[in-house]
Amino acid sequence: MLMEKSAVENGFIIDLSSIKNTSQLVFELSSIMEHPDVKGKNICLKLGSLDLKQSQLLSIKALIESMNAKIAFIDTKSEQTEASAVSLGIMIKEISSDLTADIAPSEEDFKDSEYKEEAVEERTENPVQDTNSQEIVEVHTEVHNNPIETTEGIEDIYDEVSAQELSEVIPSENYQPDGFGILAASEGLLPEETSKYILLDTGNVLPEGVEENSVNTESMQTLYINQTLRSGQTISYDGNVFIIGDAHPGSEIIAGGDITVWGILGGIAHAGCNGNITSKVRALKLNAIQLRIAGLYARRNDTLNVPYVQKTNEFTPEEALIEDGKIVIYKKLRRD
Amino acid sequence: MTGRVIVITSGKGGVGKTTTSANIGTALAKSGYKVVLIDTDLGLRNLDLLLGLENRIVYTIVDVIEERCKLRQALVKDKKNPNLQLLAAAQTRDKTAVNAEQLKEICDTLKEENDFVLVDCPAGIEQGFQNAVAGASEAIVVTTPEMSAIRDADRIIGLLATKEEITSVKLLLNRVRPNLIKSNEMMSVDDVVGILEIPLVGIIPEDAGIITSTNKGEPIVNDENALAGKAYRNVAERILGEEVPFLDLDEPKGFMAKIKNAIAKLKVKV
Repeated sequence: MLMEKSAVENGFIIDLSSIKNTSQLVFELSSIMEHPDVKGKNICLKLGSLDLKQSQLLSIKALIESMNAKIAFIDTKSEQTEASAVSLGIMIKEISSDLTADIAPSEEDFKDSEYKEEAVEERTENPVQDTNSQEIVEVHTEVHNNPIETTEGIEDIYDEVSAQELSEVIPSENYQPDGFGILAASEGLLPEETSKYILLDTGNVLPEGVEENSVNTESMQTLYINQTLRSGQTISYDGNVFIIGDAHPGSEIIAGGDITVWGILGGIAHAGCNGNITSKVRALKLNAIQLRIAGLYARRNDTLNVPYVQKTNEFTPEEALIEDGKIVIYKKLRRD
Repeated sequence: MTGRVIVITSGKGGVGKTTTSANIGTALAKSGYKVVLIDTDLGLRNLDLLLGLENRIVYTIVDVIEERCKLRQALVKDKKNPNLQLLAAAQTRDKTAVNAEQLKEICDTLKEENDFVLVDCPAGIEQGFQNAVAGASEAIVVTTPEMSAIRDADRIIGLLATKEEITSVKLLLNRVRPNLIKSNEMMSVDDVVGILEIPLVGIIPEDAGIITSTNKGEPIVNDENALAGKAYRNVAERILGEEVPFLDLDEPKGFMAKIKNAIAKLKVKV
């Protein structure tokens, strides 16, 4: 196909073909991905005969991307994995055995000095590293632009967003034709491993004497805060809270109405603390450790417990709200 | 059932109290004992991070004391081992939110239903320390082989001696680097024990894997291959009364070497 003639520079092969179950795979992969040398690389995964569902492959992809690397292609012997990869737009390619023999890790290969030298060399050979990685992105999107059955007809709504990004978080059956896509949801809507948030089984945690209500949050006062919230700082306000800055992990925002963070939300956010179920939590990057709306509490999925969030200039604002008694997160793709 | 309440303390910060608490707690729970970890470092809590439980905390120890919830509600179960529970500290409050009697009461309640209650003490000798030791009957003093840490540990051992309830004080020597000891650049285990004069409960080697395990929220005792993990498992066995010889640290297994073996690096040419 497209990559037939071109070479994947800056690539890594991770051989996981001996692993027989998914949880072990994720564990191994996450420990490998923490190695600094893997950052920014194009990962070629060798998966052997392990069967992976679409949702499982999706979380593996998300794991790799959370470490700033991306999947170049996968090599699998399982038909199911192959089908999942096709529907996610991941290239499938066989890693020829002589190639893997070449790369069999020898002690000498990993002497630090050699390691570094090699990395520097690579850079001088390819002064414009980015073009290489871009090539692969194109491959991804191209694969995706071939209409896939389930997304047919909805594509025009999402045309401006790269297909790759969509496949990252939105399984096709949950596409909503109203310009929103469900990013993640609580129990029942998405399998646990792909949900961004999981409802805590605390039940409804409204304090005694407080009842659910749906007062329009637009009628409430709004508190503007023009600073970054740090660990241990709490903002508690009866109306809406608007933060211009980040809310670091360990901070707490408690509002009677909506919470909007013009930055990365990493702490605990409790909107509608007086039982207002129409309250929403919005952020440029919604990464709260816990999301609480009225009496519903949801924790972040453990797979997203990374030490820190990489800052970029590209944010896709997200909004969390209650729908049918569940916390649902929408990714705002377009305003109209 | 009356469990044992053990406080893990050090005086100096950054010597590994929290890492030790998380690992000993996990190791004891893995052996089938019911364990509760209490984080008393109000305002600077970390124990939840090391266990990867930060996203599950709804109520904290301050909520229990101020009666906003029941003690049972505030206990967070570990992801893997239901025998292990965490009572988290409040991040938005400070040490004055709790006093020694309240903490003793919590420890007393918890030890009735658990085999072990491990109290992770904050650095320093002020209120936070006084709170943490209040309910304990045993103490583990963590130190590293550096003069400053040993000086602070000595001060702590002196303070613990004034507490009548504490019947046993043991030493855990952390971040030991055998290479440096060999080249006489670091104090040896015998030197430290000689200065502090309390029985040793464990020697933990310096291990780069600790950093990874902290970032991942996965105590290193769960890693069967890590040397530090093995050392912590041995500490747990010694706490249980078994006689386990101290690890021979002369052949440290490289953590990075293992990871590197798992990664094959190449330029793919198709």
